[in-house]
Amino acid sequence: MKVWDRFVRFAHWSLAACVLAAWITAEVKLKSAEPLHEWLGYAALAVIALRFAWGWIGPRYARFGQFVAAPSRVLAYAKAVLRGVEPRYLGHNPLGGWMILALLATAALASLTGWLSVTDRFWGVEWVQEAHEALGNAVIALAVLHVAGVAYTSWRQRENLASAMLSGVKRPPEPGDIA
Amino acid sequence: MNTRLLRGLCAAAALTLMASGAHATGFATCDSGSREGWQPQDKLAAMLKDKGWQVRRIKEDGGCYEVYGLDDKGQRMEVYFHPRTLAPVPRGAKDHKG
Repeated sequence: MKVWDRFVRFAHWSLAACVLAAWITAEVKLKSAEPLHEWLGYAALAVIALRFAWGWIGPRYARFGQFVAAPSRVLAYAKAVLRGVEPRYLGHNPLGGWMILALLATAALASLTGWLSVTDRFWGVEWVQEAHEALGNAVIALAVLHVAGVAYTSWRQRENLASAMLSGVKRPPEPGDIA
Repeated sequence: MNTRLLRGLCAAAALTLMASGAHATGFATCDSGSREGWQPQDKLAAMLKDKGWQVRRIKEDGGCYEVYGLDDKGQRMEVYFHPRTLAPVPRGAKDHKG
């Protein structure tokens, strides 16, 4: 059944592409890559802003209210994962939901500090530069954890969650699943 | 199995962070020897201020001084200088002798 709507999928893959390309254009240390790096940041910021709006007004599984779980539920889910008895969620599981918030927030802050760092006012200001670099690294570290979490959950549930994010379709809920 | 997985995830995240911070970050490198022969950053800052610059930050990068500032026309500048001679170092220079 359809879980991820068209916009969620577009936002996911365009933000993933922006993050990956921004990382590469930063690491190559080429003057010629700087304009592209900057535009990738602006694009990421636009996608994140739209995704936050969609998180309030979008369909069921796009909404933060659907997938941002209380800390106690996150902890309970994490314990269940460690014991290998976690339920299948049709939408994002409680850990995945917080990963999405963390990725969106960190990527937004990385983009904003990057933007600040090329304004006349904040050009060459040490804390802005250091914050931008640390936030950029944090986005990459979170993305690695995100991919590992997706791979693990895909394996546990015998369902390719990455291709579900491409097609939007997931296996219908079975007894015991959380829809 | 599951604690091993967790440990693996943490290690992967740590490695990513280390890999992104470890290697040289510069647009140029300088062959500048030991720091004893370097001229002070303040002198470079004063030199640039005399040219009408607003110096924002000077840091070491690849054995060079890397300067962020606004030039006399208010343009944002990121320029490398050799720490011994304080001569400008072109972007992309490798082991510049100054």
